[in-house]
Amino acid sequence: MKSVVKNRTLAMAAAAVGILVLAVPIFAHHGTNISYDRSQAWTSKAVVTEFRYVNPHPQLFFDVTDAKGTVTHWGAELLPNPAQLINNGWSKKRSMEALMPGTVITVTIAPSKAGGTVGLLVKAVNDKGEELVPSGGGPGGPAPAPAP
Amino acid sequence: MRNRLMILTIALVAVLVFSLVIVAQNRGGRGAGANAAPPARDTRPFSPQDIAGIWSRNSQGYGGGGTCRECGDRGFGNNVPPFTPLGQKMFDANKPSYGRALGTDDAKAHPEEHIGRRRAVPPANGTDLYQTCNPQGVTRALIYPDPVEFIVLPDRIIQNFEWTYSWRTIWTDGRQLPKEVDQTRWWGYSTAHWEGDTLVVDSIGHDDRTWIDHFGYPHSDEMHLQERYRRVSYDTLELNMWIEDPKVYAGRWNAEVKRFKLLPKDRVKTPEGWTGLLEDLCAPVEDIEQFNKNIRDPAGGVFHK
Repeated sequence: MKSVVKNRTLAMAAAAVGILVLAVPIFAHHGTNISYDRSQAWTSKAVVTEFRYVNPHPQLFFDVTDAKGTVTHWGAELLPNPAQLINNGWSKKRSMEALMPGTVITVTIAPSKAGGTVGLLVKAVNDKGEELVPSGGGPGGPAPAPAP
Repeated sequence: MRNRLMILTIALVAVLVFSLVIVAQNRGGRGAGANAAPPARDTRPFSPQDIAGIWSRNSQGYGGGGTCRECGDRGFGNNVPPFTPLGQKMFDANKPSYGRALGTDDAKAHPEEHIGRRRAVPPANGTDLYQTCNPQGVTRALIYPDPVEFIVLPDRIIQNFEWTYSWRTIWTDGRQLPKEVDQTRWWGYSTAHWEGDTLVVDSIGHDDRTWIDHFGYPHSDEMHLQERYRRVSYDTLELNMWIEDPKVYAGRWNAEVKRFKLLPKDRVKTPEGWTGLLEDLCAPVEDIEQFNKNIRDPAGGVFHK
């Protein structure tokens, strides 16, 4: 029982740190902190239907299938804009190839506070465990903050 | 024992991270804030009146919401003068999407911040021309932490802003500002002269649809902006500025100091190695409409058929 409590405390502390760490890059994003609810973030397998490498923000569209086989179509904006993706080593070519329609990935999405099937792409990981189109950690400088 | 250590470590990290978040929020940006201890001064020799080059307030050159250490935040200043009745009306009409969310406990917990920094709404419910990629106007573009290249010519200085890839012309040929402006401009009418090692830029005739900063502070077509640039070290350009706008503000508004860092010419480059500012345009309009329709508007509860 004691170890369960300890583990729960650890998990809660880790979650709190996770939320805070994730929160850092979003403050300056145009409306992100206002529109999306990071406390409700969820993770799921997804099938890419479209990826748009454009300003003001790239967008990922994908399908999620639930346990009953119901397919829901989602759209999500990315934190970084193309300039920041370039800084992170994610050129247009690399990004488009990594997120071709039909690709199965694992996404973490902060859903809109207003409901619906749109959200903020917190993380995308491919079947090799590689994080795709990440928002920070570029060469030669501090992790870039998101653009408008 | 090991678990306790882990909890302690995690708690410590949480406190540190949380402190950073609070600082970033208070400053309205992501950087460590203007009050942080300054980094070591760049002692390389420089000419104080040579301001040509690529300068950036986020120092890494690829744009974004954060600003570099000691560069100041993304607001013009928290010391907002009282509004005139018209100014108050214009301020109330502007609905920004930056700052603390309107009506939240977070917004209420920071009465030390001007209300302009505590009234953000989702972009779908906002009135920010910038979210449809229109020009930001001079003050906001200067505050925005993307690179700006100063191109110095014999009779003018061009400021080329990477985000939206827009040019502003500052005339140094001795001309006077127009007495009356027939048509306002997104980038105003600007002249400059040197006072010692300070470049003084005066401008008028700014389009009143732009905002002073991303918190939605308004200005009228009568705004007079003065920018005072001083290169204080090889890699640092300091900007002090103020506005006078009797239609909107009861007094002069002095901005908090902003600083730019000099970027090497090859700092910004494309994946194939093409150096120089990126063509970071927000275009075509169809892309913006598609984004707003499919993502940004529904995220704010505005759904399109």
